[in-house]
Order: sequence, then structure tokens, then C-alpha cells
Amino acid sequence: MIFKSLLARLTQGYRTGTFPTLTGPKLPEDFIGRPQLEEGITEEELNQAKGVCPSVDALFMDEGKACLDMGKCIFCGKCAKVSPKIKFTKEYRLAVFKREDLVVKAGEGEYTPPKNPNTKVKPLVGKSFQLREVSAGGCAACELDFNVLGTLAWDLSRFGMKVVASPRHADAVYVTGPVSKNMALALKKTYEAMSEPRYVIAAGACAISGGLYAGSHETLSGTGSTLPTPDMYIPGCPPHPATALEALIRFKE
Amino acid sequence: MNIEFLNGESVKLSDIPTVLEAPRKGEVTRTLASFKLFDGRFLTILGNAETHKLEAYAMTYGDEEAERYSTPASFLKGEAAHEVAVGPVHAGVIEPGHFRFQCMGEDVHSLAITLGYQTRGAEELIVKAHNDERRLAIAETVAGDTSIAARLAASKALNIPLSHSNSTLQLLLELERIANHVGDLGALSGDVAYLPTAAFCGRIRGEYLNMTAAYCGNRFGRGGAKRESADIKEWFLRTKKELFHALDLLFSEEGAIDRFEHTGTVPKDVASKIGLVGVAGRASGLTTDSRIDFPMEGETITETLVSEKKMTGDVLSRARQRYEELKISHALVERLLETESTAVQPSTLSLQPSSITVAVVEAWRGELVHIAIRGENGELVQYKIVDPSVHNWLGLAQALRGEQISNFPICNKSFNLSYCGVDK
Repeated sequence: MIFKSLLARLTQGYRTGTFPTLTGPKLPEDFIGRPQLEEGITEEELNQAKGVCPSVDALFMDEGKACLDMGKCIFCGKCAKVSPKIKFTKEYRLAVFKREDLVVKAGEGEYTPPKNPNTKVKPLVGKSFQLREVSAGGCAACELDFNVLGTLAWDLSRFGMKVVASPRHADAVYVTGPVSKNMALALKKTYEAMSEPRYVIAAGACAISGGLYAGSHETLSGTGSTLPTPDMYIPGCPPHPATALEALIRFKE
Repeated sequence: MNIEFLNGESVKLSDIPTVLEAPRKGEVTRTLASFKLFDGRFLTILGNAETHKLEAYAMTYGDEEAERYSTPASFLKGEAAHEVAVGPVHAGVIEPGHFRFQCMGEDVHSLAITLGYQTRGAEELIVKAHNDERRLAIAETVAGDTSIAARLAASKALNIPLSHSNSTLQLLLELERIANHVGDLGALSGDVAYLPTAAFCGRIRGEYLNMTAAYCGNRFGRGGAKRESADIKEWFLRTKKELFHALDLLFSEEGAIDRFEHTGTVPKDVASKIGLVGVAGRASGLTTDSRIDFPMEGETITETLVSEKKMTGDVLSRARQRYEELKISHALVERLLETESTAVQPSTLSLQPSSITVAVVEAWRGELVHIAIRGENGELVQYKIVDPSVHNWLGLAQALRGEQISNFPICNKSFNLSYCGVDK
């Protein structure tokens, strides 16, 4: 019996990906990453793009400059189709530490992913980082693509990170979903059960701003409504596993 | 008959007959959707698999429906009686839901499932949406693992043209089906501690998601296909070989089979009575499949989709049924990869004012029904989504009766129902 399993292991081979230790991630050709807005987008052009945008207020004008809020964007790429001045790059390192950093402004220079401004994090969780996931009204896509990190293809435990079953064991809570009214209490209790210092990571458009469900009378429009301001934001709908993994590594280093 | 909708409007739908009791349900005629209109009245949409026709009935909140949606409260007495509560936040990375096992000693007497934690008001947002893109995007996020089927159903119900051919849509639908079945078979394997298949399938599921991403740029197919063809044939065939190697390993492992067999049985008569759909229904011996019963325009499925194998309704049957469907889906995808993508088919539907449009798509769990109701000026006034899980959660509660709690994980995984699909 054991020989059959060993033989199977040989047949299937070693399949853990080379990302991020050796190479970048294998992203699909049509991957939609960090947006880029050319300077000089007029209000009219922006309104045209807004007309096809499934999100509410993801695109807006600020002091005469067009802006795209990645915290509300679901990365469908529809706006880029109607407006040639909006482009989506293949940049997958989307996570940031401040809410305002999620807003991409027209004519922005080259992007380098920010470092965690909280220098206390690394000595605390740099080598062992335990996460508790709470799905607060999510559609399961964020949860599924986070779960994927535990499979042998991504092997989260290589980096000293683990998803734990109890908030008592967790350093951070990884929140997905727009925080439905019916989950707010459970989310709050989970956070309160964690020992300090405790961090909040908001993953996906829903957890950051309510996403597509912002403004619904059944949701509270994001993690900030119920928990303290998140320590990290991972945009996407859902965030690609490579985006989430890179974010978590960047968070603790 | 006046029907009130979300925005307070009132619409006449005089064609719908009002009946006193629920029409016959079962394998041939089945309830696709039932939802509240006003004044305690319920509108029930029935599908007749024999005639491939949809029928609508309005009725008062009948006993049958009441029984179906109510959570039975059971109070056991005696020293061995106890209750185990689980959730809403579960131990793993899954959606929230609350389970209560009423046990007598080691045996689960009844399982009460409480959902609603995920309620986001999706149907109302679809009605109020400012554009069609938003409607489709919200439909996709009702149940994240069923995005492709949901986009298809919503586009049919709302008459939103999708810019790709039927063959591409069908291919993506099958890829979604494959990815989910692979993930669940792997999880089943992990739950009985047979780790090789669990580990292999976890990785292989990702390959199918990445194939979807090769078409859509998104692993769940969000936003629809971005291209008509992608170079996945060789990749697909290679992955297929690895997948069936991993699965055959599981199904030849006596220890695993022994745990699956005679566990969580839902017999055919019970399945028919509670109206199980999709994989779970077929695993109990029902022969329902919307791909055959209610084919959409332009669909060209010739394969025999319903498995001929004898299915008894236990965990093993549900696992075997998924295995059989994987074979069928792989054959279908291979055929679709060969065919030239056909031209984009414009919808022939013309949406009349004061009309109800029903779209039925066989999602990976079973039939997914989207219903759009239009008012007097043709505007959307109510939207209803019935996820296959709505029909099947009662099946899971039924499967647990008389089992031990330790069998819950494999029973649950064998169904793998959607919480958010029901909560919306």
C-alpha cells in the first residue's frame, strides 16, 4: 500500500511553484493588475468609463485629476476598453498599508510596493505568523483563493505562515467579505478573542470598502466599520494567490 | 392579480393560475424556484423535464413549502441527550453558517442548519444597479465558485448579450465544474486522512482555475472571457492524466472507500421528496440534469450526461457521481477544444413588459435559476436567484440523521453546498 503511494508521489512529481523564491508568478496573459491612468483624462472621458464600471465611485475626479480607487475596483478591465487612457498593467504586487495608497492618480510615476511602516511587526511575527480567517459575508472566492495558499502548489508554511483554527492562536485576522450585518458581531468577537498585538488584514474589494455591496442595507461596507483600521489592504476581486502571498510576506518583512 | 415588488410598484400578471396546493413535485416535474410576492402568496416556478417547459403557479404559503424552509426544533430528553453547536465562524477557511447537532449519545438525531450570515442584499442591488455590467458582476459574486454559471444565467434572464460564442461559454462552464469537483474530491480524501489524493487534487484544481484564467484573466472567470480561444489543449490533456491518476488512487484505496460507503445516505425516495438537484440528486438515483431537461438555445450537448451507474445516495455515490461527471466534462471540453468557435448568437428573447423571464443553467452543484420580473414599462422590478444549494441543504441535514458527528466533515464535503448562494 505504501509503495503505491510512494510510486504515485514519484509520478506526480514535486509541484511546489518557484514563486516567490526563484521566479515571479505565472500570471495569465490577460491578467489585470495595477491600473495606470494617463495624464489629461477629462471629466467627460472619465464619465464614459464610469458608465461601464460595475463599482460605484471607483473612478472619480480629484483636483482635476482622474483617480481610480483600487479598494473599490473589481479589476474587470471594462473601463480600459472604453477609455484608451486607462490601462491595466500586469503588476500583481497590489497590497498597501494605508487606505489612501489604494487610490491611483493620473500621471503617477513608477510604482514600487510600499514597505510595512510598522517596524514592530517584523521582530514579532517575522518568523512565525499565524492567521485567522473570517469570512464576513464574502462570496467564497476570496476564501477559496486564500485557501489555495495552503496547497502544495503555494505551500504557505514555507514562509512560517499558517492559518489557525482559533483566534487565541492568531497574530492577525484576515477578513474577507463586505461585513454583512449578520456577521458583524461574530467578526468583532473573533477580533476581541485575539491577544495583543493583533493585526487586521482586509483582503478583497468587499473587505476594504464593501466592494460591489457597498451601500447595501444588509452590509456595513467593509472591515473598518467593525474593526480598527486595517494594517494592510489587499485589493482584488478576488486577490490572485500570488498577490495575497506577496502581500503577506511583505507584511512581516 | 396584483403583485408588489421591491420598489413598491404593482404589476398585473393575470396569466398565472392561482392554485390551492403545490403541484406534484418529483423527478419529472420539479420546483425550480419559489419566492414571496406579497400577502403571504408565493409564486412557484415549476419545470417539467418531460416537456422541457416551465410553468408558474401562485399559491398561498402552503404546508409543503413551510415545512421545507422551516428549521425543525427537536427536543430530546434523557441522560444521553445533548446538543453540539458549531459556527458561524468555522475552524477552516470557509463561509459562515451555524450548525446544531441534536445528539442522543453518539448518534446525531437531527441537524439544524442556520444560514443567513452572508446576506448582502444581492437581488435588490441587481434591481437598483446603474448598468448591466454591475448586474452581471453582482450575479457573479452571489456564489463565488459558480461565477461562470451565474454570469450565463443572469445574461439570459436579463437579456444582456455576452460577447463570446456558445462554445466558449460552455467550455468555461465545464472548466468551472471540473475545478470544483476536483477540489471536493481532494477535500473528501483529506477528510478521511488519505493525503496523497488530497495533496495532488489541491494542486490540480489550481491548474483548471488557471485554464479558466487563460480565457478570462481571472481564475473564477469573473468578467467573462477576454478571448475566444486559448492554447490550453496540451495543458488540459496533461492535467487530465494527472487528475485521473490521483483519483484512481483514491478509489482503489479500501480504507477510504470503507469510510465513504453507507455513510450519509439519502435514499432515492427521500431525495425525490425533498427535491434534491444536481450532483447530490443524481447520486441518489434521480436523473435530473438541466443541461438535458431545459436546454438553452444554441446548446449542443450530445453526450449522455446522467450516469448509468447505480447510485445509492451515500458519500461514496456522491464521490463516484463526481468522478463520472468529471469524465463526461473532460470529454465535452476535449470536443469543444476541437470545434471552431461558433459565431456569437444574438438572443432571440424579446422581453415583454409585465413578464417573467426564467433562466436555468446547470451549474456544477445543480440547477441555478435566475428570474427577472419586469414591470409595465419593461423595467426590471424584481430579481430572484435560486442557487442549487437552496434545494440541497435539507439533503445534508437528512444525510446526517443517525450518523456520528465525526462523519459530518465527509458528508458536508460530499455535498459542498454554498452558504452565500442561499443567503445572497
